[in-house]
Amino acid sequence: MSDDSLRPEDFAEAAGAAITDAEGKSFAEKTAVLAENGLFGVIVAEEQGGLGLDLSFGIPIVAVAGKLQLRYPLVEQMLVASALAGEDIGAAIVGGEKTAAIAWQGSLEEGYATHATFVADADYVLVASGEGAALLDRASGEVQEDPSLDPDYPQYTLKLEGAATVATLSAEAFAKLKFKAKVLYGAFAAGAGEGAMDRAASHMAGRVQFGRPLSAKQAVRHTMARMKLLTETSYAGLQRAIAQDEFGAARDVDTAFAGAIGNSCFIIEKAIHLHGGMGFTWELPLHCSLRDVRKIDAAFNTGGVVKSIGKAFIAAA
Amino acid sequence: MTYNIEVAHPDPATSRSAYRAHAREWLRANLPSSMRADSVDYKTPSLNECRDWEEAMYRAGLAGMTWPKEYGGYGLTLREHLAVNKEIGALMMPESVGSVGKELAGPIIMAVGTEEQKQEFLPKILAMKNYWCQGFSEPEAGSDLVRLRTRAVEENGNWRINGQKIWTSGAMKADYCLLLTRTGTVADKHKGLLMFAVPMNTHGIRVVPIKSIDGKESFAEVFFDDVVVPDSARLGKPDEGWSAAIRVLSIERATNRMYRPWRFEAELKMLVAAFKSDPELAKLLEDGYYQRRIGQIATEIDGLKGLIEQAVDQMAGGAPIGARGSLNKLFWSETHQAFATFAYEMVSQIKPTASAEALRAKKHFTTAYLFARAESIYAGVSEVQLDIIAQRILNLPKDL
Repeated sequence: MSDDSLRPEDFAEAAGAAITDAEGKSFAEKTAVLAENGLFGVIVAEEQGGLGLDLSFGIPIVAVAGKLQLRYPLVEQMLVASALAGEDIGAAIVGGEKTAAIAWQGSLEEGYATHATFVADADYVLVASGEGAALLDRASGEVQEDPSLDPDYPQYTLKLEGAATVATLSAEAFAKLKFKAKVLYGAFAAGAGEGAMDRAASHMAGRVQFGRPLSAKQAVRHTMARMKLLTETSYAGLQRAIAQDEFGAARDVDTAFAGAIGNSCFIIEKAIHLHGGMGFTWELPLHCSLRDVRKIDAAFNTGGVVKSIGKAFIAAA
Repeated sequence: MTYNIEVAHPDPATSRSAYRAHAREWLRANLPSSMRADSVDYKTPSLNECRDWEEAMYRAGLAGMTWPKEYGGYGLTLREHLAVNKEIGALMMPESVGSVGKELAGPIIMAVGTEEQKQEFLPKILAMKNYWCQGFSEPEAGSDLVRLRTRAVEENGNWRINGQKIWTSGAMKADYCLLLTRTGTVADKHKGLLMFAVPMNTHGIRVVPIKSIDGKESFAEVFFDDVVVPDSARLGKPDEGWSAAIRVLSIERATNRMYRPWRFEAELKMLVAAFKSDPELAKLLEDGYYQRRIGQIATEIDGLKGLIEQAVDQMAGGAPIGARGSLNKLFWSETHQAFATFAYEMVSQIKPTASAEALRAKKHFTTAYLFARAESIYAGVSEVQLDIIAQRILNLPKDL
């Protein structure tokens, strides 16, 4: 799209309406709603059936999904659609006829892949293969559920012996996909944190103890302020990561990703704490956001990412 | 020391990188190694050396970028200011000795000063012809400035000032004090606050240095005993100066010393390079604990860069910065305090037989650790910033 008047926040508002519409529907119905609103093709070129927008639009859209607790592989759909743009499978994903999950650890060569979510409903699963990646027919591999972190939306392990490859990504294409994944998952986590912060702020303003709202207590106000600071830092870091510097050089995304995941975990855990006993219950959906962000954290081994940032810094100094 | 100030200033319109490239080239070519804190040749520069360096930077187009040309500035935008600051941060150069003038007094004078005051003060601030100190805090009025008691009474066209200021950075060297007084009583709270540009050599001003945690005497108590200044020293009308100061302070909190994350990064490089320079210390860098801590600090530094670049984008787009400066202040001060603590933990393991670079780092980071204790206090303590964020950004109610 070439209309410079388009603003990412306007798109995020429209995306929010679609995501709200998809709420409570089946996986297939969600797919239809989100596809109809063009969300899978946000970062796919117009001539390839997408909206032709860049990642600066993807960030607020995915953040809204995190904020509204969309439990659907929106990021995976956007990533695979973008990586396979121009191919039939890519078009099918943009249109919502097909769906894809991504297993972030393991590889075809190792014979297994792990840290994938939404696999049971997906048509395809993307796994690493050599320096690149392979898109597999999900039905051709053996799938094992790991519900320990999230019984409703579990992580999956796939045994890949005999799995059928339907498309491949070069090393360069897979590296691009991983860059975008860190941006978009970082944004999803930032949105999830923001949603938790908003819930906590609302609860603190309405919950009265000793004749005053909890939000009158300095300890509560200061904790909430730190949550806001980290939310803003996450968004600012992600937007910076996708912008070139003054000399036109691209930036690394790892610090923004690791920051967003760490910040989001802190914010959601604090939001649970601030809700008291209610925060610990299944009834209040804060646990859903915590599970979702921790799944991303585990898939990318954020602690390992931080260590690798340190190693790279040491090597360069 | 002589610097190359006969240098062409680029037109930022020619390319996005033009001004940053100019800043990079000039600073690297001109900053003496004796003024680089990461150099083994480093010697604490004198006030005159710092002044000459800052004046040269100004002549080279690297200070006063956003100030109007008629007052000695270069009439550029915050984007060029940020570009230059990135390069200032990337080198371990001395902290500005003229920052109170450039970042506080100057903008306030521009906002409320008379034309005569602007012509008199502003070009001299940029050219480092006079130093300023900030006379706001008092023994009973730190973060809570409405309790300030220093009184200004109008007498026959002059003002008679009595009171005491404290934590006044640079008072011993200052030519002028940006002085906040009140014309009424403490019961008036925010009403009747009045600002002055007071020459520090005025009869009745007494400066008593205070020794700080790092052993330096960088701030002082300043006593005003029957100090009489002409009405021409007044900055704005009663109330006007203070409301302008609040406006300026909120902008400054977001934009002043915006080189910080790039400087923190340079400091982190200095720390790592010092350890790499010594075979025994270099082994520590292979430890996953240190790698992870360094990665975490680098992550926070990048987050701070994001906050600052976002603030500049918003202001360049005409959006008011409002209370968002508190986000930046809180984040930089706590990020750097944590970094300084970690750096001290590392350098405390350096033995006297270590490399010259390591010994230099030990000295630098031990002082930095001590000085960093002030960072969550000055320019608005962390608790005040947290209150501002809770009140003005999150709008959290205090009552039903």
